[in-house]
Amino acid sequence: MTLGLPEHLARASLSRALASAGHAAGAVCLATALMVAIASVVIGSGPDGISDRRAAVVATVLIVVQALLYALVTLNPSVTLTVTYLLGGTAVVFGITALVMQPGNGFETTNNAVLAMPRVALLLVGGAGVGSRIAITWAALGWGLGEAASLLGAAIAGGAWAPNAAAAAALGLVIVARVFDSLTRSDGRRETALHRASQQTRELVIRHDYELRAIARLHDTALSHLVAIAAAGSGPVDERLRAAIRHDLTLIVGRDWASEHSEQVDVAGPADAATDAAAGGSSGSTDALRSGGTGGAADARSAARASASTMTDGAHRRGSVRAASSHGLGEALAMASAAGLTVNLSGSPDALALIGPQRRAALEAAVSQCLVNVARHAGVEDVELAIGPSDGEVTVVIVDSGRGFDPDHVPEDRIGLKTSIRGRVEQEGGRARIWSRPGVGTTVMLSVPKGGA
Amino acid sequence: MIGTMRLTQQEVDPIGGVAAAPLVPIGAVLAVGASVALTAWHWDEVGSPIAAALGIILVAVAGIVASVSVRATSAPFTVDRLWYVVALAVAGAVAEYLSTVGADRYLYDDYGPLVVGMLILSLAPFCTWISLLLAGAVAAAVLAILAIGTADSSALDVPAAVLVTVNSVAVLALSAAAAAYSATIVGASLEWQRQANATALERDGRLREGIVRSVQQGRVSVLGREVLPFLAHVAAADRIEVADADRARELADMLRRALKAGIESTWLDDLASSLDAARDIRITVDDPGATASRLPSDQRPALTALLSWLSGDDRAESIRVSVRADDGHARVTVDAVVAGSAPARRDLERFVAAARSAGVRGELELSRENVRVEFRYDA
Repeated sequence: MTLGLPEHLARASLSRALASAGHAAGAVCLATALMVAIASVVIGSGPDGISDRRAAVVATVLIVVQALLYALVTLNPSVTLTVTYLLGGTAVVFGITALVMQPGNGFETTNNAVLAMPRVALLLVGGAGVGSRIAITWAALGWGLGEAASLLGAAIAGGAWAPNAAAAAALGLVIVARVFDSLTRSDGRRETALHRASQQTRELVIRHDYELRAIARLHDTALSHLVAIAAAGSGPVDERLRAAIRHDLTLIVGRDWASEHSEQVDVAGPADAATDAAAGGSSGSTDALRSGGTGGAADARSAARASASTMTDGAHRRGSVRAASSHGLGEALAMASAAGLTVNLSGSPDALALIGPQRRAALEAAVSQCLVNVARHAGVEDVELAIGPSDGEVTVVIVDSGRGFDPDHVPEDRIGLKTSIRGRVEQEGGRARIWSRPGVGTTVMLSVPKGGA
Repeated sequence: MIGTMRLTQQEVDPIGGVAAAPLVPIGAVLAVGASVALTAWHWDEVGSPIAAALGIILVAVAGIVASVSVRATSAPFTVDRLWYVVALAVAGAVAEYLSTVGADRYLYDDYGPLVVGMLILSLAPFCTWISLLLAGAVAAAVLAILAIGTADSSALDVPAAVLVTVNSVAVLALSAAAAAYSATIVGASLEWQRQANATALERDGRLREGIVRSVQQGRVSVLGREVLPFLAHVAAADRIEVADADRARELADMLRRALKAGIESTWLDDLASSLDAARDIRITVDDPGATASRLPSDQRPALTALLSWLSGDDRAESIRVSVRADDGHARVTVDAVVAGSAPARRDLERFVAAARSAGVRGELELSRENVRVEFRYDA
């Protein structure tokens, strides 16, 4: 999609396009005139009435001269070359007219097709400058000079002069096109202001995206602590809670946390995500945010919804569950362990190396969310986690034999399933399939293509 | 180059396409005028007035078809319409040939090549340069046959090949002009868009830095300034007091609400708020599914431009934007209550054209009191 030419460029671009149109038409006229002249040389008695082959050769040379000057002014429409072409072209029209209008050539007046061709090419000079007025001026000059040359040539040859209708029609078309262009090119563009709207929209989206990310980040970092404090009520501060708060505060207090976050997500992007994943960086849903990769609004929304799912699912039945989206698989497993969940890992975890860092982060974040869901809702202490490569994909299967649920009747507020698991994986071109029945357990299979960013 | 070959001005410069539409009826009128004038000029050669009249009528029909085809409601212009127009105009040229058959002394006063060329030229903003050139070449080929047919009656003793060449010059020159215009304007538009995209990416980077700072002045920063010191206080305290628990609950609620509000709103809500504040006009957004956030980035500017335009210069009293999604389609309906006199349909068609260039279908309903523009997006 393009937004088209902005108002400030429209004048020059449209003027150039109209000049190009004129040059193309003029080139066709001169090429045709040249063919006719050459035919006259070959045949000896040409359509331009020049029975004398020598006269035909002269006519050919004149057309070639005009064509060369035309090429020059087309390539470099300076004032000097424009004037040179107009003067040179006038001389050519004079010469051709004198040759064509010789008695016995069959032309009643100068209003004929043969003379029309160099005449039209003369007025379609385009010329120096930009804009309708100057273009019309050059064209009118070309027409006037051509008409004068034609009058003089006819007088010398003893032929009858008449205004050339084709040249007049060409001038009329130039005037109509140029006047129309000058009347219509600006208002619509200025009023519609598409480029300004595009800029404004981008800014709005980026701003909204940042706000959402910043809120989600604060939410992920702080909400679990706040809920824990509220739930603890009056009494000594739990040392695990104190340690967790201090841990998170050391990561964000005294730093430009929104800026840091934005750099990680939008500027450093996937590479940073991979680094952090390897280092096991900060807590919270930073990874969830990061998993979106390039920082589109939808990613922020997805990440925020992941946070919201943590919120709406009633997070603190298990303290560590807060880490809805941990850093990498290692931390996801540690989180599950802290939540009292035993993860039986099987298959080939090395297969994760087959996918790009951004895609891997998204997959691991989705796996983390699955483990969070098991810890919260399944009511079991064991979960099977199998990782392996398949045809062009890396697949992770999470199986629990817990309470299960009806996938067709997931409550609306359980947006984590939709966005944090399915959304993340599908965003990377993968698939998330979920089989579950109440009382039977749940199997989630996540597949993403190998490679990727 | 490939883009230049496949694209039209209407597609890459939608506002230019809308602006160029009136040129087609002008071209059509000039073509009909030329056919009438030239028929009158060589009336002494006309053997069949019925064929002569038919020729003019066919040119007029070609002009009408061209004019109707480029109307905004019929957009986008498709190449088959170009061929209909060319076929009708060439049929007019054939009728003219029949009207003077055996008596046509000069091809110069035949209008066939001229009107075909003029109609092709007037359609230049709506066609690719390749199709324009091809249409001109095919028309010239047909007209060449007619030129050969006039060789016997020609006042000039010249070979038929020369007659064909001279007869083709009008249609070829005007087609070449049309093609050159189309190629140049499409090339210029694409080049500008490339530069604009590069500039926009650079600007986005600077914008992000600026926005990070401004976001910190917003509600999230306020939340941060309250929440983080509170957590630091608890981390340093020996005991959690009842007041701390209450405060924690309160802050948790604030955070939840802020996140919920953030999720449920989109850039469109923000746009409405900013226009509302800047122009003192009531703009309501009804987007329960936050569908606006899923609109592709290239499909948003037309909507933004429309809302900015409607809310400016006292054009509307109030605006309501409704966004709905179903079966992979999104529908954005903008209903505006007109403040003074109703805006011109043509003004609004520019926005629909701009949306169309991004693959969005648009419909426009206009009454004295209300304006309704509906955009339909394929997700």
